[in-house]
Amino acid sequence: MVKSNRVWGPLICVIAVVLLSRSNRPWVEFGPPQQVVSVNPKIGVHTRLTDEVEPWKVQRTWEMVREMGASWAVEYFLWAAHEPARGVYDWAHADLVVDHATNQGVKVIARLGYVPEWARPPKSSPLLLTEEHYVDFARFVAEFARHFRGRVQQIVIWNEPNLSQEWGYRPVDPAAYTAMLCKAYAAAKATNPDVQILAGALAPTLAPPGSEWGLNDLDYLQGMYDAGAKACFDVLAVHAYGWTFAPDAPASPDAVNFNRVELVREIMVRNGDGDKHISITEGGWNDHPRWTKAVRPAQRAAYTVRAYQKVLAEWPWVDALSIWAFRYPRPARTYQDNYTFVDGEFQPKPIYLAVQNYAAGREEVLP
Amino acid sequence: MRRPRFLRKGSVQEDRAETPVAGRFSQHTRRVALGLSLAGLLIVMAAGLATRAVLADRDPTWEHIRQSGTWRVGMDPSFPPFENLDGATGQPVGLDVDLANAIASRWGVRAEIVGVGFDELLDAVTAYRVDSAISALPVVEHRTREVAFSAPYVEAGILLVALRENAIAKPEDLAGRRLASEWGSAGDAQARALQRELGGNLTLVLRESPDLALQAVLDGGADAAAVDAVSLALFAAGKDRLITIGEPLQSEPYVIVVPAHAPKLLAAINATLADLAADGTLAAIQARWLEDGATR
Repeated sequence: MVKSNRVWGPLICVIAVVLLSRSNRPWVEFGPPQQVVSVNPKIGVHTRLTDEVEPWKVQRTWEMVREMGASWAVEYFLWAAHEPARGVYDWAHADLVVDHATNQGVKVIARLGYVPEWARPPKSSPLLLTEEHYVDFARFVAEFARHFRGRVQQIVIWNEPNLSQEWGYRPVDPAAYTAMLCKAYAAAKATNPDVQILAGALAPTLAPPGSEWGLNDLDYLQGMYDAGAKACFDVLAVHAYGWTFAPDAPASPDAVNFNRVELVREIMVRNGDGDKHISITEGGWNDHPRWTKAVRPAQRAAYTVRAYQKVLAEWPWVDALSIWAFRYPRPARTYQDNYTFVDGEFQPKPIYLAVQNYAAGREEVLP
Repeated sequence: MRRPRFLRKGSVQEDRAETPVAGRFSQHTRRVALGLSLAGLLIVMAAGLATRAVLADRDPTWEHIRQSGTWRVGMDPSFPPFENLDGATGQPVGLDVDLANAIASRWGVRAEIVGVGFDELLDAVTAYRVDSAISALPVVEHRTREVAFSAPYVEAGILLVALRENAIAKPEDLAGRRLASEWGSAGDAQARALQRELGGNLTLVLRESPDLALQAVLDGGADAAAVDAVSLALFAAGKDRLITIGEPLQSEPYVIVVPAHAPKLLAAINATLADLAADGTLAAIQARWLEDGATR
């Protein structure tokens, strides 16, 4: 028996090492499945795990998202990373991200975009998708929907196409975006009829028609409906930034504030699409001390909690409010750092604790 | 010919063993060739080093400044008292504007202030749209391949502040006491970190602004405050009763940004900053914009 242990012990170790080294995924302990406990099931955040390479940090991110009380998270999946060559798919990192989110009980809303080099002209912007490659993107969306069936229920098609920068530095074109959307919608539904396709994710902007920077979200959305978008999405993705305005500041076509979502909703209703819901896939406030569109940190926390309360109590047509952004892998050293809930070392900012207190139903929210 | 296994390739033994006579001739030739090769290599290396030294010494940005008589300085004029637009003239004013003018004056050139958004400033330097950026900018560690950073000209980090008469000499002396900060600010983060270091034996006093945190110290509502240096400098009421304790809890020096390949410009900026500090000009500029009753 002793002799047997001497043989089998090292052998088992060797087999374990070999198996682990052969694994496609970095190994971390998943732990038992968790559930989000929150008084508000619409609380969400936009995570930034695209360039987070360390598995334990991916896991820690989702743990902290859950512990904050967020049930939803938007995450960006780069087409270029997951289809590096036409028809060649690499889901290793995406699997890591989605599986850890699922294990923590967080529902992932997958934002897809970022064109691989093989699908665009040389030295062009990775946000440039020309019409002849719509079919390539649609096929990628379909493959994503197929691969993540049962794990990812919602897919956002592109991001802020009403900004020239996000449309490959071209004049924006709601009809062209709609054509791409409809191809992606049909392809995704063919491989996974259960998946929900989210359209738009339009940037709240006041840019007038003809602006070199883009087109305001309200005119752009109407342009999408005019081009037949109604049949090509299940939920409308909306971005809702508050800038310096409180969350209850009234909506106005000439103001960017949180309630601008109501104007978007009116356009949907006007176009006979009032039965569809909205998911706010980006939004929130910034507390950088020098940015002119920022507020003080205490205001940011109070506004954020109020916004979560508002979507729960007053906007039954909103499924989730995913606020930008949970954490960056490293500091940007710009105002962008002042959108986050935790720092790069996973230290929670007070706003994180405030949302956590709210989600836990505590009376005192600001810690 | 197959080489015996015990002979190393290229060894003297190998030559002797295989072709004794030809081997001696070959050995001489090889020595000459080796000598020539080494000499050639040394010449190439020396030429490379010389070229590198010449290239390293070249600084097109600095040459352009000297030739044009203009130093293009990127700045986002939205952060008083460092830079903002004067209400009456519409021109940029502030500490950074004065600093740019003072440096340019020492060089005998003119500072041209170019408006650039805060988040685009480093890109503007990298793209040579401006020669430098002065805009209350911190060191951005992950950009050091593209830009270089000067010596600091202002420390804007988080300071520990207490009443003069308070017996606090170092952060650890705050154990069992109360520390004020602006809720959610960088000072708050430092206060919470200190609270963890002290095993929770520190009461946080959270206020809605740095001024209110400092006021709490003056009013006896807190034993100390963790606030940024600029807020402290601009705090008017009762500042003479306050002192800073030790080194900054978190250092945040403001620096001037230049292209990565502008060694002469960087050296000139650093030398001039040292001169301005030595003769009191820098202190005078800081006093004008950051001291109590400053012109702003």
